[in-house]
Amino acid sequence: MPESNFSGPAVEVNKVSFAYGRQKVLDEFSLEIPGGISFGLLGPNGAGKTTLIRLLVGLLKARAGTILTLGRKPSPRIAHLIGYMPQLPSLYAELSVIQNVEFFARIYQLTDKTERRRRVEEVIKLVDLWEHRRKSAMNLSGGMKQRASLACAIVHNPPLLFLDEPTVGLDPELRVTFWEYFTALTRQGATLIISSHTMDDAAHCDRLAFMRDGRVIALGSPDELRQATGQAKATLEDAFLYFIKHGGVNKNVQ
Amino acid sequence: MSSSTLTIASRIINQLIRDRRTIILIVVVPLVIASLVGVSVPDKSILDYTAPAILAVLILFFGFLLTGISFLRERSQGTLERLMASPVSRLDIVGGYLLGFLLFAVLQTMVLFFYFIYVLNVSFYGDLWQILVFQVLIGIGAVCMGTFFSVLAKNEFQMVQFIPMIIVPQMFLCGLLWPVSQMPEYLQWLANVLPMTYGVEGIRALMLQGQNLLDIGKDVGVLAAYAVGLLILTALTLRRSTG
Ligand SMILES: Nc1ncnc2c1ncn2[C@@H]1O[C@H](COP(=O)(O)OP(=O)(O)O)[C@@H](O)[C@H]1O
Ligand SMILES: [Mg+2]
Repeated sequence: MPESNFSGPAVEVNKVSFAYGRQKVLDEFSLEIPGGISFGLLGPNGAGKTTLIRLLVGLLKARAGTILTLGRKPSPRIAHLIGYMPQLPSLYAELSVIQNVEFFARIYQLTDKTERRRRVEEVIKLVDLWEHRRKSAMNLSGGMKQRASLACAIVHNPPLLFLDEPTVGLDPELRVTFWEYFTALTRQGATLIISSHTMDDAAHCDRLAFMRDGRVIALGSPDELRQATGQAKATLEDAFLYFIKHGGVNKNVQ
Repeated sequence: MSSSTLTIASRIINQLIRDRRTIILIVVVPLVIASLVGVSVPDKSILDYTAPAILAVLILFFGFLLTGISFLRERSQGTLERLMASPVSRLDIVGGYLLGFLLFAVLQTMVLFFYFIYVLNVSFYGDLWQILVFQVLIGIGAVCMGTFFSVLAKNEFQMVQFIPMIIVPQMFLCGLLWPVSQMPEYLQWLANVLPMTYGVEGIRALMLQGQNLLDIGKDVGVLAAYAVGLLILTALTLRRSTG
């Protein structure tokens, strides 16, 4: 794993505002994400998850406020420490799986040829696409595209990973596989920031932010959030609805 | 030139090689059009006179189209976003595109040029290598223009709209159909700021009058300045376009 030499929070967002044209998406948004955990951004479509992630990887610029990823402003200078899996599987349609992964390995400066080959093979096997490695991306099924896209995002072994709805469209079995892999990554010390709109994913995260309309409505571990409802058998869905109803803006259950 | 530029260029080459339709667009379609020109022109002397300009215009048109559409696909399929979040610089991306497509622009130029000379028997004066170098320069301009306008376009439809807006006026005003000097003054003024005018003027001087690259230094300079200017503009515009 490339060294980030940084022990503070993986992400610090302080009073960030962002709008697409006139449409405000984030308004004085603040959030701190500690390192070494899997952190879930949970919320319905349009909550602002993708916008937040794009701000954090430096694809968008905030109108106001400050963003620090690994203690630095998002910029190409820290890009090699960051992995980004966009919401839609973003692959070169004509290229094969192995060509796609190899391309991103080069882009992320895996310059040593032997090491690069080894790593490309390793991640393709990891996402279970080795036997399909010569297929063009356009001929892959939805789930296979998703896996190839993940392989491209992790090929350089980044200490900080942003995964935008990585499990959408995966069958239950594959979803379990993905989560096994995510857990293994955090055990190796990586920080994972994962957006999702299904509570199925939420249960796997170490910590969660429930998001709605560009705001964090609750923050805590899955257990803490469930317990906050006061009901013994509450699910995370119940918890989400509870926080919507009891509408505490930036309510922090810790 | 950084290794990322080369990585991106070789990726583009891989992509085009694996896509048979693009190869058809690069080689077959221009040859069909060239043949149509060859067959429809009634007189060999007219063909000799128009062929250089047609060559220049075809290089511009296909270079623009191919680069523009490819770059747009890079954006619509989300891979540009991935690149922009990676350590590569904007100049690496634009430079990689230029280099990758240049190879195909050169290939296309060669195919068209030798087809005109050996199959359609177009006569010409001047040095072969100087003519090729100048055509490649037109190709560079076309690739830069294609990248620049695809960064401005929001989707494939808008990109196609740039053809009547950007390419067709240049075809009419570049001197292919009638000499620039015989146009109304305001059109001459317009023609003189369009790069294609210099492309056609230069290639005619090389092929019809047997001049050399030094003689047409002005045309070379203007085309090169256009290419560099567009390259810088593209790199500057790129950041906003993923938003
Ligand atoms: N490129 C864009 N241009 C304009 N509005 C956008 C754009 N992307 C997202 N939005 C709007 O911003 C809001 C938040 O979107 P997004 O961040 O994609 O949410 P999520 O990822 O949680 O579904 C939505 O209302 C969406 O319509
Ligand atoms: Mg989203």
